[in-house]
Amino acid sequence: MIYGVEQEQDWNALSDEAFRAIVRAEVEAHHPAELRYPPRRLRWAENRSWYLRMAAKGWIAPGWPREYGGMGLAPAKLLIFLEEMERWGIARFQDHGILMVGPILMRFGTETQRRRYLPPILACEEIWCQGYSEPNAGSDLANLRTEARLEGEEFVINGQKTWTTLAHDSSHMIVLARSDKTAKKQLGISFLLLDLKSPGVTVRPIRDLAGHEEFCEVFFDNVRTPASNLVGELNQGWTVAKSQLGFERIHIGSPKLPEYGLQVLLAVARARGVERDAPFRERLAQLQLDVAHLGDIYRHFAAIVSRGEPLGAEVSLLKICATETFQRIADLIIETAGDCGSHAGMVQMGDGRIEVLAPFYKARPTSIYGGSNEIQRNILARQVLNLPG
Amino acid sequence: MSDDTLRMLRDSAADFATLDAVRVRRLRGTDPGFERGVWRSMADMGWLGVLIPEDQGGLGLGLGAALIIAEQLGRALYPEPYSDSAVAATQALQHGDNAALKQRLLPQLASGELIAGLAWQGEHGGLALDQCALRLEERGGTPVLQGSCRFAAIPGADAFIVAARSAQGLELHWVERARKGLACEPEARADGSASARLRFDAVAVSAESRVAAAASARAALQLALDHALLAASAELLGLMDCVLDMTLEYLRTRVQFGKAIGSFQALQHRAVDMYIQRELSRAALGAAVATVEGAHCTAEQRGAAASGAKARAAQSALALCKEALQMHGAIGYTDEYDLGLYFNRALVLAAWLGNAGAHRARFSSLAPLP
Repeated sequence: MIYGVEQEQDWNALSDEAFRAIVRAEVEAHHPAELRYPPRRLRWAENRSWYLRMAAKGWIAPGWPREYGGMGLAPAKLLIFLEEMERWGIARFQDHGILMVGPILMRFGTETQRRRYLPPILACEEIWCQGYSEPNAGSDLANLRTEARLEGEEFVINGQKTWTTLAHDSSHMIVLARSDKTAKKQLGISFLLLDLKSPGVTVRPIRDLAGHEEFCEVFFDNVRTPASNLVGELNQGWTVAKSQLGFERIHIGSPKLPEYGLQVLLAVARARGVERDAPFRERLAQLQLDVAHLGDIYRHFAAIVSRGEPLGAEVSLLKICATETFQRIADLIIETAGDCGSHAGMVQMGDGRIEVLAPFYKARPTSIYGGSNEIQRNILARQVLNLPG
Repeated sequence: MSDDTLRMLRDSAADFATLDAVRVRRLRGTDPGFERGVWRSMADMGWLGVLIPEDQGGLGLGLGAALIIAEQLGRALYPEPYSDSAVAATQALQHGDNAALKQRLLPQLASGELIAGLAWQGEHGGLALDQCALRLEERGGTPVLQGSCRFAAIPGADAFIVAARSAQGLELHWVERARKGLACEPEARADGSASARLRFDAVAVSAESRVAAAASARAALQLALDHALLAASAELLGLMDCVLDMTLEYLRTRVQFGKAIGSFQALQHRAVDMYIQRELSRAALGAAVATVEGAHCTAEQRGAAASGAKARAAQSALALCKEALQMHGAIGYTDEYDLGLYFNRALVLAAWLGNAGAHRARFSSLAPLP
């Protein structure tokens, strides 16, 4: 075994129930209670110990094949694994290494790249962030301007990335950069691996509306990365990046965030003593149904994934439903909170303390990131409804 | 039932049920508003008996099969009262406690000889089971029905299963439409069909005509209604399919400002929202059927699933129809364009057995709090 640690057993040989029980027992026994359902994205210093434990156990990369140090879970088992993490309110860490870099290197990387980069990802020694978006390349990502010029055995990178989630917690970045300025849009882009400690890299956190610093701007001033850090062919980076739009797309449409929102909503309603009032119950019932039916759609797509079949463009509707349902719930939380709806942080309400604005702030960017909901609607209109361009 | 059986059923139902807009228009405002010949064809294909056990003349295929048929009939706007008679009334009889009556009537319902309606609502409608203003009284030692019901779905039925209040509680009775003392007054509905207000003046009933005694009547009626809610949701789903397809086709072909209007992003995004509503309805219905057909489903779980599916289907169908009308522009508002047929049917199906608001409230009372 070159990569990671040995697995205790062949998880896929277990029944779904037995596997779920093992995951659940592990999580309930060892996950720190204070980290459940965090109101914001956790920093690496906060959830590091939990994920190092997962890494030591060989559970850090549930979806990777065993030959590369993963758990080798079949799609149905992987879904169970993720469901159990969500059920316990376990926040993701800066897991681009697991979700993106690993699978991309397995598919497009060289053996040298895999041997160099996969082990520290599995050990959580190197943390990766995603350098895609730029000030003028958001929804129109192919408009990116960051430049990578090949000089001998090195690429020289100049430009700027932005909205880079947790770049300040990351040691490495995958960079989409323009390597051929004469080619049109998608055609002149390359996919590069970059050590963020390289000279010329500046990471500047951006403070968000909620007062948190979860994303960053990253500047490149004549930053050098070895030509051997090119993944896939030169100028074929767009193909490499797009290949990872599979399994994760269902994750973003999970009903867990809206379900968490309903919990907060009910807590706020109880604190205000309106949880039995007819007007509130009417609106709650609509949202309960929205969440229930989102769950029904989610399970439909999850079943496709579990069968190992590819997801079609239809899955974009899941992201729209999940994020907009969550936003409607968050809106009603603030409205129900009344005068407390302006209070930041933990707010005294009734006998308890509730972070009233947390779901609201958490919900707002969900319709922006991961391909804005407008982009998702464009995709559905063109690719599913066959409307003209 | 195997997936293959369901697929074959769906295919044959889809072949049979294509929109005949001329017929749909011709039958509007007529009595009874549907055709016995078509009803018999449906019986010949076994559709009227999919819920009836094999030893009582049916196919015993179960609710999933009935909903597949309802969905296809909804696509084609069939005015024949499938959900009313083959689902609602049939299920009430079947889950009642009168074995002799079932033995006699279920085969006739399956064969299409008899068409039955369910009459249980009072003057103001709603979902309460004991709302009816129909009483069981004694007249000279004989029990008689006295009072009225409203919103009975088909004036053209041969018989009604009526809910009446007795000293013991709610009972269900089988009453032929031709009975002396029963007056049936149609009320026109938006799609050209009618519902019936029934007035009973000393209509004699007996233990033989009793579909369900007080001990089992409420459970039988509620089960029949929950299954009928799912049938209505399936009809609405089929209807939504057509409305969405029609609208997308219009967006692709209607040219203004030198372009197909479907190339405008404002309309594309609204079309996507229509599609999402349809998909939510489909997922909700599929999950509700799975819940209802599950081995350990309680009456509360069944009710919550059925009400949830109906609330979604009613809300989505009306939203889709209104958007479809707006996107079609003035042509959509004309009676000669088929969209209006769907629009008006959606109004009827959305309100039948309780609208979205009523079912959200019922869902709220049955489903556990999050």
